[in-house]
Amino acid sequence: MASLLTRLKQRLDSLAAGSKKALVAYLVAGDPDLSTTLELMHGFVASGVDIIELGVPFTDPIAEGPIIQAAHDRALKTDTSLNQIFDLVEEFRKNDSDTPVILMGYINTFLANKKALESIHERGTDAVLIVDVPGESTLENIGINNSHIASISLISPTTDLKRIAKICQTSSGFIYYVTLRGVTGASNLDISEIEKNIAHIRENTTLPVMAGFGIKTPADANKLSKVADGVVIGSVLVDMIHQQSTQKDYKKIYTYLNEISAVITQ
Amino acid sequence: MDNLIDLPDAEGFFGDYGGKFVPETLMFALQQLEDTYDRLKQDPDFLKTFDHDLSQFVGRPSPLYFAQRLTEHYAGPQIWLKREDLNHTGAHKINNTVGQILLAKAMGKKRIIAETGAGQHGVATATVAARLGLECHIYMGAADVQRQSLNVYRIKLLGATVHAVDSGTATLKDALNEALRDWVTNIDNTYYIIGSVTGPHPYPMIVRDFNSVVGRELREQSVKLFNKFPEAIIACVGGGSNAMGIFYPFIQEPEVKLYGIEAAGSGLETGRHAAPLNDGQPGILHGAKSYLMQDKDGQVIDTHSISAGLDYPGVGPEHSNLKDSGRAQYLAVNDEETLRAFHMVTRMEGIMPALETAHAFAALDYLVETFNPTDNIVINVSGRGDKDINTVATMDGISLD
Repeated sequence: MASLLTRLKQRLDSLAAGSKKALVAYLVAGDPDLSTTLELMHGFVASGVDIIELGVPFTDPIAEGPIIQAAHDRALKTDTSLNQIFDLVEEFRKNDSDTPVILMGYINTFLANKKALESIHERGTDAVLIVDVPGESTLENIGINNSHIASISLISPTTDLKRIAKICQTSSGFIYYVTLRGVTGASNLDISEIEKNIAHIRENTTLPVMAGFGIKTPADANKLSKVADGVVIGSVLVDMIHQQSTQKDYKKIYTYLNEISAVITQ
Repeated sequence: MDNLIDLPDAEGFFGDYGGKFVPETLMFALQQLEDTYDRLKQDPDFLKTFDHDLSQFVGRPSPLYFAQRLTEHYAGPQIWLKREDLNHTGAHKINNTVGQILLAKAMGKKRIIAETGAGQHGVATATVAARLGLECHIYMGAADVQRQSLNVYRIKLLGATVHAVDSGTATLKDALNEALRDWVTNIDNTYYIIGSVTGPHPYPMIVRDFNSVVGRELREQSVKLFNKFPEAIIACVGGGSNAMGIFYPFIQEPEVKLYGIEAAGSGLETGRHAAPLNDGQPGILHGAKSYLMQDKDGQVIDTHSISAGLDYPGVGPEHSNLKDSGRAQYLAVNDEETLRAFHMVTRMEGIMPALETAHAFAALDYLVETFNPTDNIVINVSGRGDKDINTVATMDGISLD
C-alpha cells in the first residue's frame, strides 16, 4: 500500500512521468453530510480526479467567496468536526489507497486538534493546507508535530520574489499558486501574470505548481494547465454539489470533471 | 516586571499573542503598511499633521472632568471622567481614523474600507474619507445595521456605502470577515482602516499608538488636576482600542491599576456573553492569536451583548498579554448592570454614555470599595450614547414610533 508522504509524491511523479497535468478537486467535508462526501470522493476519482482537497469547515473562512462560505456553514450546521473528517479519510482509504487527500482549512480548528494531528498520516491524510498560516512557517513553527504529512503553501500574485524563495524552502508536496487577487470563486484571471509568476516559482523549486482560485470553465482549465502542473477546481464543484443535494444525483458533476480532465491532458 | 512596553516584537507578537495569520495575498499589503508606518512615525511633518488634525479637526485634548455627584453617590474614591465622548463624531474612534487616513494618503490608496460594530468606527472612517474626498465602503453586520440605524444613516450622509453582512452571526466579526475579503480582492488600490487593536500585525500596534493620545493627555491632566497619576483607570473592552489607548502610556507606572471591563451579556454563567478574557481560550481569529470565544473544536461561538461595539468573540492581542502578565485585570458586567449604569450616569452627571462605555461605569459597583477617598480613579468615557437610544428604549419597553 502506498503511504505517507510518498502517496502524494508517487502520484505527482507518475503524472510527471506521463507528462500529464493534475486535476485537483475541492469539496467541503460534511456538505451536505459526511456519507455524501465519501460517495463524492470516490465518484471524483472515477471521473479523473488525481488529488482530493477536503475543505475543513470553519465559522470564519476569510479566504472564501460566498459559495464556499455557505458550504462551510452547511457543514457546521450538521456539526462536522475535524475528528469526523479524519474518520472520513480513514473510511475512504478502505477502497482507495492511491489518491492523495489534502485537508484545507484554517489554523484555529487545526490547533484545537493538535494531538490528533500527530497521527493523521496513519489514518490516510497526506497533507494539510492551512490558508491563514503564512507560507514561510513550518507546521512545527505553529505547534503541529507531524513530519509525515506534507505542508502545502499558497503563493499569490502579490507575493514578492524574496517571499517566493522563502516559501519554496519550507513547502513540501506542491506549491499552490493563487491565480487571482481575491477570494475563492472570483473571476478575474490574468494568464500572462500567472505565467510570469509561475516562472518565478520554478526558479526556486522543483516542486510541482498547481493553479487554483477562479477556475470555472474547461477553457480556463485548459489555459492554466499549459502554464501549471495542474489545476484546482473548487467553487464550481461546491456549487454543483449544493444544487444536486436534494435529489443526490451527481452525474452532472462527474461529467464536468471528465470534461476538465480531458482538456487538461490534451 | 516583564517588559510590556517595547512590544510587539519584530514578528508582531505581544508575548504569546498577536502575529500575522492571514492568507498569502495580504502579506504584501501588511508589509507595505508596516514599512510606511515605521518610516512616518519618526517623520516630524507627519507627526505635526497628525497633532494638528487631532486638535483642529477632532477637538483635542478631551477634558478630564470631575464627576461630582457620582463621587458623592459612591462615597469612595474621587471619580474622574476622560471625556472621549466630546470628540468630533462622538467617540475615541476618530483618533485612530485621523491617523490611519494619513497612512492611506501616504501610500497613495484611493479607496477606503472599514468594518464597524456599533457604527462609531464606521462614522469615524466615513468622516475622514469625506474630508479627503476618498471612496469609502463600510461593512456592518446586518443585525448591527438594525440596532444602530442612526449611525448607518450618518455614514450614508457622509457619502460612504454601507454593506450589510448577512453571513455567520451578522455582527462585528462577520463584518470583519467581509472587509478582509474585500481587501484581498482590491488589494492594489485599497486601504483597510481596522477600527480596533485587533487583526494582524501591524494593526494592533498602529491603532494603539494613534489612540494613545488619550493616555498621554491623561498623564498631564492628572498631575495638573490632582498632582499625581490616578490610582486606577477603568475602560470597557471589546476589541479593546479605547482601553489600550488609555492604558499604554501607564504600563510602566505600576502604581496605576488598570481595569478592563468586558461584556458579560446575559451573564458569564449563561455562556451568552462577549467576554473572551474572562471565559475564553487562546485561539486565532482575524489574523492574530488572542483569547477567543470558541468551542472545543476551534469553532468560534456566537457572542451576545446589549452593546454592538463589544459584541465580538475576540480581543486585541496586547490585552491577552496584559492579562497573562497580571499588569491589567479584566472583569465583566452583564447587560442589566450596564443598563442600570447607563441610566444612573445620564441622570446623575448629565452625560449619556454609549452602552459600551456604560460597562465601565457599571464596574464601579465592584471596584469603588477597594479605594480610599484620597484616591483618584479615571473612567474612560469612550463614546456618547445618542446612538443607543433605540436599544435602551426597547430594553425599557418603550416605543419611540
